[in-house]
Amino acid sequence: MMTEPPLLETRDLVKHFPLNRSVAEMFRGAAPRAIHAVDGVSVSVRPRETLGLIGESGSGKTTLGWLVSRLYPPTSGRILFEGQDITDLRGRALRTWHRNAQMVFQDPLGSLDPRLRVWELVGEPMRSQEGLGRNALRDRVAELLPTVGLPPECVDQYPHEFSGGGRQRLSLARALSVHPKLIVLDEPTSALDVAVQAQILNRLVSLQREQSLAYLLITHNVAAVRYASHRVAVMYLGEIVEVGPVRDVLEHPVHPYTKALLAAVPVPNPQRRRARYRITGEIPTLVTPPPGCRFAPRCPFVIERCRVEPPPLREAPGRPGRRVSCHRAEEVGDIPAETLMASLPVARASGPPKAPLAPAPS
Amino acid sequence: MTEPILSVEGLSVDYVVGAGTFRALRDVSFEMLPGQVVGFVGETGCGKSTLAHSIPRLLPEPPAEVRAGKVLFQGVDLLEVPKWRMPYVRGTGIGMIFQEPINSLNPAFRIYTQIAEAVRVRRLRETGRAPSFHPDIEPFDYSKPAPVRTGDAMAHAFLPTVPESMKNAPPELTSVAKAALRAEVLDYLRLVRINDPETILNLYPHELSGGMRQRIMIATALSAKPSLLIADEPTSALDVTIQAQVLTLMKELMDEVQTSILFISHDLGVIAEIADHVGVMYAGHLVEFGPVGDVFERPRHPYTKALLRSIPSRYQDDGPLPTLAGSVPNLSHLPDGCAFAPRCPIAKELCLVEPGPALATPYANPPQRVNSSACYFPLEAEGLP
Repeated sequence: MMTEPPLLETRDLVKHFPLNRSVAEMFRGAAPRAIHAVDGVSVSVRPRETLGLIGESGSGKTTLGWLVSRLYPPTSGRILFEGQDITDLRGRALRTWHRNAQMVFQDPLGSLDPRLRVWELVGEPMRSQEGLGRNALRDRVAELLPTVGLPPECVDQYPHEFSGGGRQRLSLARALSVHPKLIVLDEPTSALDVAVQAQILNRLVSLQREQSLAYLLITHNVAAVRYASHRVAVMYLGEIVEVGPVRDVLEHPVHPYTKALLAAVPVPNPQRRRARYRITGEIPTLVTPPPGCRFAPRCPFVIERCRVEPPPLREAPGRPGRRVSCHRAEEVGDIPAETLMASLPVARASGPPKAPLAPAPS
Repeated sequence: MTEPILSVEGLSVDYVVGAGTFRALRDVSFEMLPGQVVGFVGETGCGKSTLAHSIPRLLPEPPAEVRAGKVLFQGVDLLEVPKWRMPYVRGTGIGMIFQEPINSLNPAFRIYTQIAEAVRVRRLRETGRAPSFHPDIEPFDYSKPAPVRTGDAMAHAFLPTVPESMKNAPPELTSVAKAALRAEVLDYLRLVRINDPETILNLYPHELSGGMRQRIMIATALSAKPSLLIADEPTSALDVTIQAQVLTLMKELMDEVQTSILFISHDLGVIAEIADHVGVMYAGHLVEFGPVGDVFERPRHPYTKALLRSIPSRYQDDGPLPTLAGSVPNLSHLPDGCAFAPRCPIAKELCLVEPGPALATPYANPPQRVNSSACYFPLEAEGLP
């Protein structure tokens, strides 16, 4: 698997959403401003592999999913699918390509037209790609539904008749209908209860094995990524800060943001109530991202260099297959999140510590 | 022996709609002591939000109908209190925080106005100038018009008659009082660890981030000094690092403010983090209640066990995730026996016929040592993998 060429590759992918300039700004001749949703992302997804993409809201992970599905035009950068540049595909070529990559959207009800019956909904990609007629479509959908764990009899129902898990299964069936090579899953389980979530995750994994699918799994749910992914990429403010094999990244996070994110996940074990490795402050704005490392304003290990020079995504020291964008990766890499907490001051009423706090490199 | 601050006895709530009667809560009983954090977990539709809303009587009636039960808050059965008096209980008696802070904050008013309103209402109640349920204050004589000399809209909105004194009310706040009010509002903002509160005061809710808004909601709720705070999924709309900040804040506030918290969440991790006692709900029934350590480590109800097991905590090469077969029953057609019996791995003949037993000791008073379960075979459930 390691030697195979990637199924999907992005090279310095950038997406800026321009902001409207106010009249005053136009008169002042201010430079047009934009939301830097995705800023120079290079990732790859190998065949039959799941790449998990985790990050908080506003980190650009959904935008990245839309970009690689060619639902947004990128501002710059290239998208390669099986070695071919698909960045500039248009019209018929784009539509034909779409059978290779399908998407499951976050909101299962919002992405299913309430006035269409199941066979129309699920069959839509097949109708578009293969031009199937009404009866053929119904039969194909009825065959398809059991693969996602729904009874074939429900082809004539409407989406509102399904539970949250059922709707997510419908979205999944629709994506599977044209036998894609890649499915972009945007928060497939975030609207679901924990028991249903486990069912959907199991189904996703078994489908991947049966149909040789690759997934780009976009979620803020670390537990879902842990189970369903082979590799994981952590996004923060439009950039990838860390990427590597899932077990390695989740058990030995190197980037301070990854450490903080993982430490913030509540663990259902009352014995492990911990003083947290907490990051103070809120996510900065994407309109004027900080000049250096984007995590610098919240990072407990920040040094002067971090504030001026953006760290490149480079090989993590001593960890094969792992890349991380941190100037101090060597020093902070081995510090486990738990031992840090004691040395970190608690944000009190007086606000976060003013002085940059850097535990001495050992 | 401490008196419980809240004790719910046999509460049953139905939703009567065109499609039928949905039994949202069935015979729910529990108690909480002052200073306790009691968490409730369960899946969507298990009745945890109905429970949270039925305590301060915020349920929409109709379609909701309280069928039976008592909600004793500081010894008073809130279900017996006339509806027009309920606003006196809310705020200083029972405070609430909801999931989406943006829906609870008024977009047309600055942050200062919204917190100051809560502070002023509390002060009026403390000084006996507005009706109150607060235990430290003498009972208010509801037969007379309230001797309110202020133009406080909140205090007057619920009075049965407009008192004479309200007409041509003098300007109420002197500059000294205004400064004191402002200082108190600032104190509450600092309490919830908001940096630069002077600036935040003059902002509108849409100018703040989600975590900030939720902290404003907590400040507003706390500024009324409620004896009981009901938090309905307060962190579910927040990002995980922001959620961690809010949870840490709430835990720290527990030491600083004398408040009991009833905390509703679907996230077992969050409940494990914050609660002292935990109640597990399924299809409108409270199926297990007990100290958080016991419930999470030795669950005595098969549903709790299944819920805990289904949290994804393993890697793919460790094998498939354990799942719970079947789905949540329709609340309009609950099974005859135990609601969980159709999905239960240890269901017996008895479970399919008889409804699950009542919780043996759903009370925190005297402080309960073990968790009690609404299962006929708690020891067998404990032994499940």
